[in-house]
Amino acid sequence: MTAIDTAGRGDAWRRLQFFFDSKVHVRLESLIVLALLCVAMTVLSPYFLSVSNFLNILLATSTIGVLAIGATLILSSAGLDLSLGSVLGLSGVAGAYLSVELEWPWFMAIIGALGSGALAGYINGQLITRTRIPAFIVTLGMLGIARGVALIIAPNGGAIYGLPDIVVYLGQGRPFGVPTPVVILVLTALIAHYVLAYSRFGMHTLAMGDNEGAARATGIPVERLRRELYAISGLLAGLAGLIFMARVNAGDPTAGYTYELTAITATIIGGTSLFGGRGSILGALVGALIMGVLQNGLNLLAVQSYYQQIAIGAVLIIAVYIDQLQSERERKS
Amino acid sequence: MTLLEVKAVAKHFGAVQVLNGVDLTIEAGTVTGLVGDNGAGKSTLMKTITGLYGTDGGEIRFDGKPMTGLNPGQRRALGIEMIYQDLALARQQDVAANIFLGREPVKWAFGILPGFVDKAKMDADARKMIDRLGARIPSIHRPVGMFSGGQQQTVAIARALTFNPKLVIMDEPTAALAVREVESVLKLIRQMRDEGIAVILISHRLNDVFEVTDRIVVLRQGRIEADLQTGKTQMREVVGYIVGAH
Amino acid sequence: MTKLKTVLLASVLIAFGSAAAAADKPIYGVLMKTLANPFWGAMEQGVKAGAKAAGVEYYLQAVESDQAAEPQLNTCNTMLEKKPAVMITAAINSTILLPCLKRANEMKIPVVDLDNNLDPKVTKDAGVNIAFHIGSNNETAGAQGADYVAKKVGKDAKGPVLVIEGLSGNITGQRRAKGFAEELKKVAPGLEVVASLPGDWDRGKAANITNDILTKYPDLKVIFAANDGMALGAVETVFAANKGKQVTIVGVDGNSDAVKSIKAGRLTASVAQLPYLVGKQAVENVKKVVAGGKVDEVIYVPTLVLTKDVLEKGTEPMLKYVK
Repeated sequence: MTAIDTAGRGDAWRRLQFFFDSKVHVRLESLIVLALLCVAMTVLSPYFLSVSNFLNILLATSTIGVLAIGATLILSSAGLDLSLGSVLGLSGVAGAYLSVELEWPWFMAIIGALGSGALAGYINGQLITRTRIPAFIVTLGMLGIARGVALIIAPNGGAIYGLPDIVVYLGQGRPFGVPTPVVILVLTALIAHYVLAYSRFGMHTLAMGDNEGAARATGIPVERLRRELYAISGLLAGLAGLIFMARVNAGDPTAGYTYELTAITATIIGGTSLFGGRGSILGALVGALIMGVLQNGLNLLAVQSYYQQIAIGAVLIIAVYIDQLQSERERKS
Repeated sequence: MTLLEVKAVAKHFGAVQVLNGVDLTIEAGTVTGLVGDNGAGKSTLMKTITGLYGTDGGEIRFDGKPMTGLNPGQRRALGIEMIYQDLALARQQDVAANIFLGREPVKWAFGILPGFVDKAKMDADARKMIDRLGARIPSIHRPVGMFSGGQQQTVAIARALTFNPKLVIMDEPTAALAVREVESVLKLIRQMRDEGIAVILISHRLNDVFEVTDRIVVLRQGRIEADLQTGKTQMREVVGYIVGAH
Repeated sequence: MTKLKTVLLASVLIAFGSAAAAADKPIYGVLMKTLANPFWGAMEQGVKAGAKAAGVEYYLQAVESDQAAEPQLNTCNTMLEKKPAVMITAAINSTILLPCLKRANEMKIPVVDLDNNLDPKVTKDAGVNIAFHIGSNNETAGAQGADYVAKKVGKDAKGPVLVIEGLSGNITGQRRAKGFAEELKKVAPGLEVVASLPGDWDRGKAANITNDILTKYPDLKVIFAANDGMALGAVETVFAANKGKQVTIVGVDGNSDAVKSIKAGRLTASVAQLPYLVGKQAVENVKKVVAGGKVDEVIYVPTLVLTKDVLEKGTEPMLKYVK
């Protein structure tokens, strides 16, 4: 009797997991980690559970969230983009340079930021597919180049301060009470989610990340696809750069330092495979939120810096461990 | 009716000349066995036909049309399918995704969003195809990497047959199978022939080749060594050509 | 043919001559952290001006970022190969350059600690002899920030205060934050530091922290950030939350963005380090040392609180060193 009961429960659990995996495209485990973290923070701090604080968390997550979308697309295709953080810095400086230093119209700040990001990504993609240099090396090179160019553009390596009001609105405005970066993040995520989970482009990306030879054999133009993916990833880094620049009202050449690692971490927590073939945009958002909630909670609790580092490191390992545990069990069954 | 014409095809990788002017003609509704030692150029020859490799000389015509410059996707669209030895499956994707890889049907979502993959149609068609092959697969929603070798082979075969191919190339389809599964693959090959599909079977298992083919072509050091009627030759003769004893 | 020979000979002579000329003049080696920061850019200008005034040559090296400790040690060692007359170094941390500086001591090259990055106790223990330490006092800078806050919001003011520290574990940020917190306790005990959090020198992170703390303390009164970049990140958050009038925000560095923001009435104040002056005075004092003169072991270059008032009046004599 008991045996049947537990079997039934296990089955229901598995069915629930399957539902989340295939229909919601988020791993149940990551949602549980996020929920647990929220419960813990609610207990620990009376300020945690409120609409305005959740908007805070989303706002704080917006830059990393947009980067994590790019990272998810790239990792799904078994690629790697280490230049995300540096390209973020470069695009902010490029946008600020055009609109502040050169005094071009405000929309050039947007075009400059997105354009320089996309250009850096395009170069990454061209180099990776045409020269066959591993993505790790190409994007590591771009990490240095983009940061260097940003520092050269910015006068004396300092920030370019004081952007046009419309641009600042993209970072600080609150249409209907919701911070603009959050709106941008949500829209971008929805589009990217649709692309990865439901479009041919997305299915080909996953198939290529899974088995490039198979993708090639079935006629998928893998080189072109890869180039497009890196350009999109760069464009998203440019978008993140735009958000960052608008939020702090400055093009800061040091912006986004090591953000690529945070973005990739959020992506992995969200259930995307580091080796390609499996990826979820919504999962990456959940991953980014896990890190955002943790950081917000630690700030509300005014936890000292060294303990913050320990807490963040520990939660990362635990989050991925829970996920791993589950896939381990799947493999055995 | 001549379906495929390979004329003087040459291919080298660096300094190694793998194909030395191969001529081969395949008729519709026939089964041709392609045999030869390891490194004879069998797989390379087939990959020049599917478009995975370009050629360094010669010409390939399919259905009368020159294939030069066409990529694998375009050649599949014309009716050339290949079941690779490693099956070329995306192991973390499900059955339908693999069967329709590169040819996913699309629809408009909610009537406004373009380019949505029609997952429902894919699943239904995939199930139909698997049933038609008389295979048993636990669930078509599972990643194919979780299936047995025979089940994975079924998926690869289903992919080749779903879009009404004219030519199906099979690279060692029976190498990793149990006896009962081998039988069903051979049965399937005969069935394809009866439907007018041309089949090229690459195999080391000469028993299988003799059982199912109309014709046996021996490749040796990048050249056609012999082209034999299966009914008029014997195992010993074929082996002789393979090792170059003639 | 002869013409070619003449040209060759001439160029050899010129090359030889200039080498000889260079060898006559003492060359100072200057090793900075990074040039990817206006602070060090201004310091370099000061060194240049000082060298020009003192009639000495110098060559300057820096590494890619102020985190690149080991590359800085390697650069330091390479510089010694050129046998400079003096080594003026701004070490990335208090220990990394010690092996190189010890070698400099052995080569009888005087060593100067630029910007007070070395701990005199540590250098003495390591047997490294430093001619003098020069720079602004980071604790004093923090304390000056606190003094200014007390003056601005009143000695008896009450309310929550947020301190945004630098990179976790970085000594400069720690000193500034500590100096601020300790002085604030003395001069305005009603103001309470409710959180002291690591902003990692990251503008975006400082903006996030400010947002979080404003949630918990909507009546936040003061923000002190360990550098201007973070202070400016906080400024944007505070103004986006429409609390620009309520919150007094003070940064440290006095860089050009901060000056712009102060003039625009957004950032309240910045404790300006005067890197230009530090660089200039460093070279001037080095000249004394080389000539066999005596200088103080630790030379503090003053810091200056920049406010809208100070900037608009423009009468403060030290303003000319704010670059």
